[in-house]
Amino acid sequence: MIYFSELQNLPAYDVKGDYLGRLVDLGIDPNRNPLMVASFLVRTPKEELVCINHEQIPSISVRAIQTSVSRPEIRCYDTDDGLIRIKKDVLDQQIIDVNHRKVVRVIDVDFDIQPNERHTVLRIISVSVGWAAALRRLLQGTLAKHTVRRIASTFPPKVIPWEFVSLIEPDPARRVKLRISYDRLAKLHPADLADILEELSRDEQKSVIESLDDEIAAEAVSEIPTHMQVALLDSLPAGKAADIVEEMAPDEAADVLQELPPETSAEVLANMEKEEAQEVRELLGFEENTAGGLMTPECIMVADSASVEGAVAALKIFSGPLESVHAVYLIDTECVLSGVVPLARILLADASTPLKELSSEPVISVPFHADERAVVDLFHKYNLVSLPVVDDNGRLFGIVTADDVLEITIKAR
Amino acid sequence: MTSPRFRRFRINLLIFLSVLGPGIITANVDNDAGGIFTYSVAGAHFGYGLLWLMIPITAALIVVQEMVARMGVVTGKGLADLIREEYGFRTTFILMALLLVANLGNTIAEFAGLASGMSLFGVNRYISVPLAAVLVWVLVLQGTYRLVEKVFLLACFFYVAYLISGFLAHPDWGLAMRGISQPSLRLDSAYLYMVIGLVGTTIAPWMQFYLQAAVVEKGIKLKNYAYSRWDVLVGCVVTSVVASFIIIACAATIHASGHQRLADAADAAIALRPLAGRAAGVLFAFGLCNASLFAASILPLATAYCVCEGLGFESGVNKRPYEAPTFYTLYTALIILGAVAVLALRESMQVPIILLSQVANGILLPFVLIFMLRLSNRADIMGSYRNTRAFNAIAWVTCVVMIALTLLLVATSIKL
Repeated sequence: MIYFSELQNLPAYDVKGDYLGRLVDLGIDPNRNPLMVASFLVRTPKEELVCINHEQIPSISVRAIQTSVSRPEIRCYDTDDGLIRIKKDVLDQQIIDVNHRKVVRVIDVDFDIQPNERHTVLRIISVSVGWAAALRRLLQGTLAKHTVRRIASTFPPKVIPWEFVSLIEPDPARRVKLRISYDRLAKLHPADLADILEELSRDEQKSVIESLDDEIAAEAVSEIPTHMQVALLDSLPAGKAADIVEEMAPDEAADVLQELPPETSAEVLANMEKEEAQEVRELLGFEENTAGGLMTPECIMVADSASVEGAVAALKIFSGPLESVHAVYLIDTECVLSGVVPLARILLADASTPLKELSSEPVISVPFHADERAVVDLFHKYNLVSLPVVDDNGRLFGIVTADDVLEITIKAR
Repeated sequence: MTSPRFRRFRINLLIFLSVLGPGIITANVDNDAGGIFTYSVAGAHFGYGLLWLMIPITAALIVVQEMVARMGVVTGKGLADLIREEYGFRTTFILMALLLVANLGNTIAEFAGLASGMSLFGVNRYISVPLAAVLVWVLVLQGTYRLVEKVFLLACFFYVAYLISGFLAHPDWGLAMRGISQPSLRLDSAYLYMVIGLVGTTIAPWMQFYLQAAVVEKGIKLKNYAYSRWDVLVGCVVTSVVASFIIIACAATIHASGHQRLADAADAAIALRPLAGRAAGVLFAFGLCNASLFAASILPLATAYCVCEGLGFESGVNKRPYEAPTFYTLYTALIILGAVAVLALRESMQVPIILLSQVANGILLPFVLIFMLRLSNRADIMGSYRNTRAFNAIAWVTCVVMIALTLLLVATSIKL
C-alpha cells in the first residue's frame, strides 16, 4: 500500500540515473482500465510538465521513481484530457460516498503497488479521510516516511473504497469523456439523494440533477429545502426545469412554483405538459397555509354506486404514486364526497360488494379554505392518514396526506 | 392603480429585503465587545487624532467585504472550501490553526466584555461568565438560535445611543473635522498598536469567512448580486458611522475631561453621560452585554463550522456529537477556554486583553487577504466577475500597509 501523499514530489530518474523532475500528478484512463494508473506527470526543473507512460516505469519506491527510458524516449500517454488526474480531480475535492450516502472531502488517496516483470503497476484502492490521513498530509516532507506512517497510525484509518466513490464533475462534456456517471446515485432513496445534494455547491447540484432521470430528479428535488429547490430550478434551463416539475407530485410542484420568481414560474408552467400544468395552476389558485394549499388532487375517486370491482379498476388506471394510496373516495353524480373506503377493506371484500357498504362513517373532510392548523388538529384528533378536501358544496377536490402535516408540525417545533 | 415606476421600486425593495441579512448582521457583529472597547480607547486616549483612519479603513472594509460576498455568490462555496480546493490541505490547516488562535482571542474578548458589562450591574464575573457560557452553548445547540438572533439584532439599536451622545456631548467639531481630514502618523508603539487594533476590529478575518458562508447559505443568485452589494455597502457604512461616533463620543467626554485613561467598562460608560446622565452606566452595560452575548453565540459556532469545513470534517448542529466529534469538540472547547481564560485573568487585564485580541486580528488580516485576492482574481473560479484594477489596488495596498505596520510595531516594541 502506498499513499498519494507519499508519492507526491518524489524525484524521478531516467534509465541512466539522471534526474528528470518531481512527480506531481497521476492519471487514470477510465476507458482502458478504470483502476490502474496509466500516466505519471513529472515536472522538470525547467518547469515543463512531462507525462510518462506507466509501461516505462519499472520501479517505484518511497524514495524515488525509476523509469526505463532516457529523456528523449519518453512516450506520453495518448489522451491527456481523457484522464482522471488524482491531484487535480480527486485530492481535496468533494466526492460522494455512495455507500454511506454522504459527501466527503478527500484528504489522501490509497494505492496498491504491484511490481511485475516489466513494470510496476499502481492500482487505486480507496480514498482516505479523517485524522490518520490528515496527519499523513500534514507531516509529509517534514519527517521520514515510516515515522509519518507510525504517527498517523495512532488514529484508525477511515477509507472509502474506490468502487463507492462517485466523482462530481460540473462539466458535462468532461463527464462523458471520463465516464463519470451518476448511475449509482440514481439507485439511492430520494431522501438520501436529497441529503447529498444539500452538501454540494450550486454547480455540482446542477450537474447531478441534469444527468439523472427526470423522475428520480423530481423525487430528490421534492426532498430538499425550499430555498435550495428554488435556486436549483432557477438555474436550470426552463425545459429541463419543466420536465422535473412535471414529475413532481402536484402539491409539491405548486409549492415550488409559488416560491420561484413570477417570470421563471410562468416559463416553467408554459413548458410543462398541458394536463400537469393545468393541475398545478388550479392548486396555485388556493391560498398557502390553507387545506387547499396543502392538498394534492391525485386521489382515487370512484362513483358511490360502484362495487369493489370498480374500485380495483380505478386503482389499476391510477397515474399517481400507488404507495401513498390509503383509501378510495366515493363521490355521487354531483362529485360530492359521500364515502371513504380504506384499502384494507377492499382487499378483504368480494368483488361484487357495493362500496357503499364498506364506507367508514362518518366521513371526515375539511373545506379548502380551512387554516392549516385546523387540518393538523383534525389529523391528530381522528388519527388520520389522509384527509379529503371539499368545497362549500361538499365536492371533492383532493386530499391532504400525512407527510405534509408532519412537515408543518416539524416546522412549528 | 400603481404606476409602473412604483411597482419596479417595490419589486426592487422586496428583492433587496430578501437578500438583506448577511451584510447587516455582519456589520452589527462587527461592533462587538472588541469593537466597542477598541473604538472607546481610541477616542479616550487619542482624542480625535485617530478619526482620519476611519475613512481609509471603511474603504478597505467595503472592498474586502464586497470581494468576499462576490466570491460567495459566484462560486456558491465558502472561503475555507475555496482555499482548500486551490491550495491543498497543509496550507488550509495552517491557516485554520491561525484563525483558531485569533478567534479564541476574540471569544475571550466577548466573555471579557460580558464580565465587564455585568460588573456594572454589580454581578460578580464568576457568576456572569459561566452562566453566559452555558447559556450560549445551550441556545445555539438547541436550535432556538434563529429566534434569539432576531432579539439580538433588535437590541443593536443601542448603537444609536452613541450617535445621540456624540452630538449631545458638544464635541469640538472643528477639532473633529481636522482629526478626520488631517492624517497624523506617529511612530511610537502605542500609536501603531492602536492603529492595527482599529483595522483588526473593523476588518476582522473571521467575519470575512462568516460573511461568505452566510451569503452561500442564503443562496443568493448571480442575477441578484447587485442587491447583495447594496446590503454589504449599507452594512459597512453603518459599522463605520457607529465606530466613528463611539470615537467622537469618547473623545468629547473622556479625552476632553483630561482623565484620558480607559481602564474598564465604568470608564467607557462615561461616553454616554451626555445622553443618559447617571443612567449612562446602565445603558452602556446593557449595550455591551447584548453585543458580547450576540457575538459570543456567533463566533465559536462560525469558527467550528469554518475549520471543520475547511479540513473536511463532519459539521453541523443537526448532527449528533458522535457523528461530528471534531465539530462539537471545537465548539465546546472554544467556549470553555474562552470563559476560563477570562476568569483566570486579573480584572484589570480585561480591557488590555480585549485590545490584544483585536490587534491579533489585524496581524492575521493580510495573510487571509492575500488568499482572498489571489482567489478572486482567478478567471477559472470567478469568470467575468474577477476583481477590477481599482479593487485590487485598494486591497493590495491594505495588505502591504498592514504588514508594514506589524513589522514597525515589532520593531518599535523591541526598540530597534
